[in-house]
Amino acid sequence: MPVAASAVYFLNLRGDVLINRLYRDDVGGNMVDAFRMHIMQTKELGTCPVRQIGGCSFFYMRISNVYIVIVVSTNANVACAFKFVVEAVALFKSYFGGSFDEDAIRNNFVLIYELLDEIMDFGYPQNLSPEILKLYITQEGVRSPFSSKQPLDKPVPNATLQVTGAVGWRREGLVYKKNEVFLDIVESVNLLMSSKGSVLRCDVTGKVLMKCFLSGMPDLKLGLNDKIGLEKESQLKSRPTKSGKTIELDDVTFHQCVNLTRFNSEKTVSFVPPDGEFELMKYRITEGVNLPFRVLPTIKELGRTRMEVNVKVKSVFGAKMFALGVVIKVPVPKQTAKASFQVTSGRAKYNPSIDSLVWKIKKFPGQTESTMSAEVELISTIAEKKSWTRPPIQMEFQVPMFTASGLRVRFLKVWEKSGYNTVEWVRYITKAGSYEIRC
Amino acid sequence: MAPPAQTNRSPSPSQPSGKGEVSDLKMQLRQLAGSRAPGTDDAKRELFKKVISCMTIGIDVSSVFSEMVMCSATSDIVLKKMCYLYVGNYAKHNPDLALLTINFLQRDCKDEDPMIRGLALRSLCSLRVTNLVEYLVGPLGAGLKDSNSYVRTVAAMGVLKLYHISESTCMDADFPATLKHLMLNDREAQVVANCLCALQEIWGLEATKSEEASTERETLLSKPLIYYLLNRFKEFSEWAQCAVLDLVSKYVPSDSNEIFDMMNLLEDRLQHANGAVVLATIKLFLQLTLSMADIHQQVYERIKAPLLTLVSSGGPEQSYAVLSHLHLLVMRAPYIFSADYKHFYCQYNEPFYVKKLKLEMLTAVANESNTYEIVTELCEYAANVDIPMARESIRAVGKIALQQYDVNAIVDRLLQFLEMEKDHVTAETLVLVKDLLRKYPQWSHDCIAVVGNISSKNVQEPKAKAALIWMLGEYAQDMPDAPYVLESLIENWEEEHSAEVRSCSALALSEKEMEEPVRLHLLTAVVKCFFRRPPETQKALGAALAAGVNDFHQDVHDRALLYYRLLQYNVSIAERVVNPPKQAVSVFADTQSNEIKDRIFDEFNSLSVVYQKPSYMFTDKEHRGPFAFSEEIGNISLGEESTGNVVPAQRIEANDKDLLLSTSDKEESKGSIHNSSAYSAPGYDGSLAAPSQTDLVSLDYKPTPNVPSATFAIDDLLGLGLPAAASPPPPPPVLKLNTKAALEPNAFQQKWRQLPISISQETSINPQGVAIMTSPQTLIHHMQGHSIHCIASGGQAPNFKFFFYAQKAEEPSTYLVECVVNASSCKVQLKIKADDQSTSQAFSELFQSALSKFGFS
Repeated sequence: MPVAASAVYFLNLRGDVLINRLYRDDVGGNMVDAFRMHIMQTKELGTCPVRQIGGCSFFYMRISNVYIVIVVSTNANVACAFKFVVEAVALFKSYFGGSFDEDAIRNNFVLIYELLDEIMDFGYPQNLSPEILKLYITQEGVRSPFSSKQPLDKPVPNATLQVTGAVGWRREGLVYKKNEVFLDIVESVNLLMSSKGSVLRCDVTGKVLMKCFLSGMPDLKLGLNDKIGLEKESQLKSRPTKSGKTIELDDVTFHQCVNLTRFNSEKTVSFVPPDGEFELMKYRITEGVNLPFRVLPTIKELGRTRMEVNVKVKSVFGAKMFALGVVIKVPVPKQTAKASFQVTSGRAKYNPSIDSLVWKIKKFPGQTESTMSAEVELISTIAEKKSWTRPPIQMEFQVPMFTASGLRVRFLKVWEKSGYNTVEWVRYITKAGSYEIRC
Repeated sequence: MAPPAQTNRSPSPSQPSGKGEVSDLKMQLRQLAGSRAPGTDDAKRELFKKVISCMTIGIDVSSVFSEMVMCSATSDIVLKKMCYLYVGNYAKHNPDLALLTINFLQRDCKDEDPMIRGLALRSLCSLRVTNLVEYLVGPLGAGLKDSNSYVRTVAAMGVLKLYHISESTCMDADFPATLKHLMLNDREAQVVANCLCALQEIWGLEATKSEEASTERETLLSKPLIYYLLNRFKEFSEWAQCAVLDLVSKYVPSDSNEIFDMMNLLEDRLQHANGAVVLATIKLFLQLTLSMADIHQQVYERIKAPLLTLVSSGGPEQSYAVLSHLHLLVMRAPYIFSADYKHFYCQYNEPFYVKKLKLEMLTAVANESNTYEIVTELCEYAANVDIPMARESIRAVGKIALQQYDVNAIVDRLLQFLEMEKDHVTAETLVLVKDLLRKYPQWSHDCIAVVGNISSKNVQEPKAKAALIWMLGEYAQDMPDAPYVLESLIENWEEEHSAEVRSCSALALSEKEMEEPVRLHLLTAVVKCFFRRPPETQKALGAALAAGVNDFHQDVHDRALLYYRLLQYNVSIAERVVNPPKQAVSVFADTQSNEIKDRIFDEFNSLSVVYQKPSYMFTDKEHRGPFAFSEEIGNISLGEESTGNVVPAQRIEANDKDLLLSTSDKEESKGSIHNSSAYSAPGYDGSLAAPSQTDLVSLDYKPTPNVPSATFAIDDLLGLGLPAAASPPPPPPVLKLNTKAALEPNAFQQKWRQLPISISQETSINPQGVAIMTSPQTLIHHMQGHSIHCIASGGQAPNFKFFFYAQKAEEPSTYLVECVVNASSCKVQLKIKADDQSTSQAFSELFQSALSKFGFS
């Protein structure tokens, strides 16, 4: 049984019910109270996202300032339930235009009930694709004064057909004057470095995001410089691949539009894209990651009331590139009184609310280095015995046109029967995921 | 659904509240009902919105039912939807009014717009009113044959809804057969999927009742059907794919070619963006290859990368669900992730529940090659500011040490923890060092040198204290000041005890209960120490035995007496009993049986894996009805007039504490009451301590003939001389309980405060009983059958707490019981108080026999 949710609730942080949808009778109506009493009002909130109370299991997720709670009475599929919530939130976001929070829910509760009706029936997930749902559940429809007079005409039968159709993610008959495809490769690089400077853990999770404004039913083919794909290609064409770096992807997942059979046999990514924005694929790499930054911290505790913090940051990507929005957070003890800084670039200050020295550099060119040295004064406390355990230094950044994995798009071909020309745009960006350096 | 009563929280200003508003709405709706003026629909829409928002926050708006129905004559689809939602919510509790809606719903079911047909049919099936089912059959039948696939998907689910309202109507109309036909022939994948879900549920539930149904259920797993679904697999939506994969994983292929074909067909699903599909595929692959060992291994290799991706993509909740599965797999095949251990390093900002699972993963994947790195990483966490995290990390280090990899290095690390001088770190580490020494006695030299330096004053946690005391006793010869440390601990015996009683919160009480192991350990340790270093320990031994004999806790008292008698009888025999040469523990017992583990594995990709117990332990088919929380709450509030259905949690706690408090109050005055109880001799307090101590001082390493008079004196004093022990107590008269006993909650509370505990013991409950005990009610009904009534109950799985009472049949003598059930360990703690102390043992037996029958009836 995939989910068979008995009820779905949306609550705000105080525990007020925002949305309350019961699908099945096998749970009582006072499940919200049970959740409030046994989870929200106890210390257990946030200790575990799956809890059993009485005969029922509660799955809950916090999304901005809202809790979404699913109640089941059977041995349900947890992964499926969480995935459903995530997808549903994505759907609501696409309806509300980006934000999903208490206000958005209060302003759109009728719409949410409508959607909840469509995306889940008797606890079983149905169609969650925004593309199709938007055909027959429209926010504008609520506003239009004439909609009540006209029984919904042509699009609807079409929509209802598509609800159940095979190419569920794209409708027919789209026309664009200018056919464009935007392709973004977004990587987030995760690093955990020991205080001795050795890399404990390092990996990259990447996404290929697409924005398609294409007419008709186009067939797209994407080529990347990944090892398996290139090898396969060279086999097929029986000539050696051009020299160049090849990337070994640990694992890849694709949007449902990608023809997986073809990927497995020919190792090419071919698909009929949904209209507008979507995530084409995700991948993960652990070998051969190019770290964009090296961080070399030295922290000295001088007596009980003073500390000296020196942080040197080196950028190790191409000299022509630059990083944006670089932030380095160096944790300091709670009893920090003040700190004085010397920086070679950017600005640094002490932020007491997060107990950290925050050093910000707006633009950081490649192949350069920058240092911050700070003197930290501490308030002397009686509890001297408890030595301070240092949390790791955290770093944020974005490096456009750089991929930590080295992944590159080799080609993106668009084929449509009308044979129009398309403009393709490709961008790369690498962001910091959890970039932690112990000190 | 029962609209939950308005709670006493102040509603937010943006939300409507109060009775006045509802009657206002009623008025306005009535005005609009007949109006045909332009703009009516907009006005209606606003009103409907208000009604729905009232309904959402729990205000009972059922009183506007008829007005809502009157207003529903509209062609506006949004208005219709709101109206359907409203009707669906309240129809169950207003069956008469629900009849009003049938008419317009039936009409809408014949609308020319498929959208409206679908909506109307869905709402019609969601009314959940038993006496309206006759109106359902027609539209459902038509819906299943509808030309539009949207209507058919709705109808398929509708059949399932009908089944849940009225099984017989559904079966009589032969809907399952229609569904089956539809499933095999419909061109729309979603219709097929919904039919499949509905049939699975219907046949699953019917199977217990009829032979025919169970064969039907079998056919769902027949080869043609499975192949049919797999051939259309790519058409299904991601959610439907999950359902199909789940079904296929129950199918038993006839030969290995079939298995390979299926795996080849579905291998690409491991690349699917939806983690649920990936997990479902993994389950299928694992189940398919169970009987083919080498292929099974290959499957593990193949699923590794997708699983690791799932852990790192998505939110912490999703990671948690996936990590639970990884943990299950890694227990079966520890090697699969041993090279990928770095994936389980914790990030600083992750929630604790994810970190905890990652620690468990790190523990499980540790082997010869990676232990050093893993332990190094764990040591980083041990220094963490977050105390629970630090504790878990230290435990993880200990577990790895017990797995026998690279013990040398780990012992060094553990000893470094002790030097960190953080109380919680020290406490956890002591417990581990104790376990380590039990397994690797050869390390005692290094460990004891460090442990000896720990000041016992810095160790407060009972578990850690017990561990330290055990080591003091076991390695007394290696620790120069062991006897003196023990002596100082014994000096604090009484002090600790009185300190606990002074603070009478629930917490202190539970700590107190945990103190007993400390005292037991202390007794044993002193005796062991005495064997090794008699002259130095003599004084401490005397003090410990005296304190132990005086202790009101039964086990402590008994053990002290046992030791005393043993020593008195023959010291060398005593040594053989108390401190025999030990064998190193080779394997610590595993808590879960293999059978249970296999069952959890069979239920891969479900809650069982997260809870780490098979589904029968937490879902209960017989008692699947709505679980009444308010009832439970009402019970526990002990007759206090509850103002609403909802009682804030604090009040329960307060009540619970109140009851607990009364028990600890009781304990304070125990000393005096104890004197009159059957077990103790009069005037033992000061007089016993003195003679026994002097007596014991004269004990030496040879069986000394003691001064007989002193021995006699003690025996007499203790009132447990041989004569008493020799003649068994006369069998107690059969206790009969009053079946209609009644006791006011207030009277109960008062009595509970006044009476001493006459029996306090631990017993067990059989697992079948626990399995059906999803709510306290089940046990309460059971005990009522034995004339034992419940006055208050509470708690949540796995811990339930009950207060029971019973009365004697002939006389108004009452028994009060506090019963704490731990469903996961099947343990029950009993505290019995009685008006008539002499019959409390008989009552206790009665109670336990009643309890032991729970689950068989």
